[in-house]
Amino acid sequence: MQAIRIKKGRTIPLKGGARLELKVLSRPSEILFPFFEFPPHQFRLVIKEGDRIQTGAPIAEDRDGKGIVLVSPVTGVIKSLNRGPKRALLSVTIQVDGDQSAVAHGAVSGDSLSREAVIDRLLKGGVWPFLRQRPFMKIADPKAAPKSVFIHAMQSDPLAPDIGFILEGKEKDFQAGLDILRRLTTGKTYLCFDAATLSKALLGAKNVECAGFSGPHPAGNVGTHIHALDPIGKNEVVWFIEAQDVLRVARLFTDGVFDPKKVIAVTGEAAQGRAYVQTVLGAPVAHLLGEAQKNDARYISGSVLSGTEVGYAGTIGWYHAQLTVIPAGGARKLFGWIDPGFNAFSFTRTVASSFLPKKEVSLDTDMNGGHRAIVLSDIYDDLNAIDIMPVFLIRAIYANEVEEMIRLGIFECAAEDFTLCNFACPSKVDVSGIIQRGLDLMEKEA
Amino acid sequence: MMNALRTFSDNLGRHFQKGKPLEKLYPLYEATDSFLFTPGTRATKAPFIHDKADLKRVMVLVVLAVIPAAFFGIFNAGYQAELALGVAPQWTDALLRGLMAILPIILVSYTVGGFWEVLFACTRKHEINEGFFVTGILFALTLPPHIPLWQVAIGISFGVVVGKEIFGGTGMNIVNPALAARAFLFFAYPGQMSGDKAWLAVDGVSKATPLAVLAAAPAGTPATTALTQAGYTWHQLFIGFIPGSIGETSKLACLLGLALLLITGVASWRIIAGCVVGLLTTSWLVVLLHGPHSAIQATLPPHWHLVLGGFAFGAIFMATDPVSASATQIGRWIYGILIGVFVVLIRVFNPAYPEAVMLSILVMNIFAPLIDHIIVEQHIRRRASRG
Repeated sequence: MQAIRIKKGRTIPLKGGARLELKVLSRPSEILFPFFEFPPHQFRLVIKEGDRIQTGAPIAEDRDGKGIVLVSPVTGVIKSLNRGPKRALLSVTIQVDGDQSAVAHGAVSGDSLSREAVIDRLLKGGVWPFLRQRPFMKIADPKAAPKSVFIHAMQSDPLAPDIGFILEGKEKDFQAGLDILRRLTTGKTYLCFDAATLSKALLGAKNVECAGFSGPHPAGNVGTHIHALDPIGKNEVVWFIEAQDVLRVARLFTDGVFDPKKVIAVTGEAAQGRAYVQTVLGAPVAHLLGEAQKNDARYISGSVLSGTEVGYAGTIGWYHAQLTVIPAGGARKLFGWIDPGFNAFSFTRTVASSFLPKKEVSLDTDMNGGHRAIVLSDIYDDLNAIDIMPVFLIRAIYANEVEEMIRLGIFECAAEDFTLCNFACPSKVDVSGIIQRGLDLMEKEA
Repeated sequence: MMNALRTFSDNLGRHFQKGKPLEKLYPLYEATDSFLFTPGTRATKAPFIHDKADLKRVMVLVVLAVIPAAFFGIFNAGYQAELALGVAPQWTDALLRGLMAILPIILVSYTVGGFWEVLFACTRKHEINEGFFVTGILFALTLPPHIPLWQVAIGISFGVVVGKEIFGGTGMNIVNPALAARAFLFFAYPGQMSGDKAWLAVDGVSKATPLAVLAAAPAGTPATTALTQAGYTWHQLFIGFIPGSIGETSKLACLLGLALLLITGVASWRIIAGCVVGLLTTSWLVVLLHGPHSAIQATLPPHWHLVLGGFAFGAIFMATDPVSASATQIGRWIYGILIGVFVVLIRVFNPAYPEAVMLSILVMNIFAPLIDHIIVEQHIRRRASRG
């Protein structure tokens, strides 16, 4: 195992972690297929309201003819297509049947198949969308040749789930999945996990390059792992997959079915009964929490740094293994600027609490200030684990300087790698949003 | 009471919304409203949590850090005036006299500068930046206590408009606006502003500053002797009961401010350390290498350079302006060191310009983007060679 210590970054000691206890939930009566992770301009629905659908049967297919399909995680009836402003598809509600039969693809040993046959099965079986690529953090292009494949088995966001705990007892499936995934590349397959893990599945993994990461957030970001082990150069592509989804890959081959199981960590100060829950993809937030909606709470799929707000009526995204519920906050306080901040949290030493013993902090969604021009340019320097100069990259993006953006390394970046800068910025600048804007521009130019 | 105030502000705020008569003045409303209450804006996208530090908090800390120098400056202005008048100085009288002389300067600086700030914010439809509270006081403290108020008004107008706003406003300016304002006055009204004589807060009375003493001293005298003979001991220069610009005479008061800036981490310690390293090394080399025909300033020991002129004030409050300084970590070292080097070079080799610190910082403000450019290019080359 290679040990890598990340020095830059900061961990936010947020209150409300999940107990290391797995609760197996009953099957929900309906689920939501979320579309916030799958842009509608890339996918075409192949179902309509009232259709019966089987587990593993397609809901949508990609518009570019790459053969990527999004499949249903349950057997049931399409109840409604939920649309938002401008008729954008937000989610599909599926009424769950008592009988959960699945589309059968037949059990097969991964070893006997060619790379093409492995890709073909992942595509047809609906597991392909779990494989994503860098740059651009989007579903991997099946026609591309990745220079390496990363298994993302560590998260360092606030209250992030313990991946080792999620994989407990699933060692055999995990290894089977790794053996299939490493056939996708002629390069190396890296398994990146927390250096302090005791997980047998991770420490005992064979036939892959193991790397143990330690240090503050973003030590657990896949971007940090790729940068440390196999940085992306010009015209290069790296694929990655979340560790939990490796099990899904394995099941598609060993059992020939789409496995909808998912373990989610229920976290956040405003959530009761914080623990790990085992359920199916698309289970509604209400089902995960088993408690009534709180008026002043925010329901986030993923972490407070990089997640997506889904609301009480929403569901957890396919790439997230965490639900975070935090209080909304945002009460307007008189003369807040002169408050010494004994209970405040800041990376800087401008609040009194910086000089008090460290403890877990309670944070709500208050921005703690208004938007201003970027004045303090040194605040971002110590927050990036990737060798990038954020201030200059931001300038290049503002100026639409595509060449300069490439030279400054935009292909190695994703919005989630810069959320700590957003958090810390005293001018409340949306750094990760600006980086995303640059990436969108690059994608359009390419 | 608090709720009433909140309701009042909300009611008032309605008139500043889009389509309402006072729409154009919205930035002024935002500034006042967020001065009274935290904005309370909630995050609508990731990240959903934010650091407690905002620009208001940071700028308030800088203003707090300047306060010891400001207080000392007010008192000293009165004290020096009483000395010049031949009155045995009383603490209270000196303070009162100082307040009468200095408060109007600070008020004019804030009012006139604030006017431009608000005008530009309203036309450009962006927020009023708290950084102005720092510029306004820093500029006032670089002025001699006797300065006519119309000059203060012209100076700060130049600083805010030409030094900052024509470059695109806060965050985009090349040079420190407070120094730009000071430099403008220095070149526009050299007779009243140049530092060979410090004018006191008494009409028509002036006294030679330590740097002017050096410039006038006969060749061959060791610099320290010349200064001590003129009544300037190192200790005195450090404490600051000497004539000079309002805020910069007391190095002790500046150090108190420095302590606050370093404890809270608001100012870049690299810049300040760089300034000191550059100044000490260069002055040490000059002392080491000077010949018999060198200027008298070349004999000045390094630790004297630290307490002379506006070095402490400039290095602590002016050079550290994050917008006009270098924006890279190594760059901040280079930027600071070169400021220190230039201060000594100007003092020793061009003593006609006593404002060495102001000029050095302005020059390095202009070179900071170049330093950054070189460092960014190196960063890009390193990335490219990674293979």
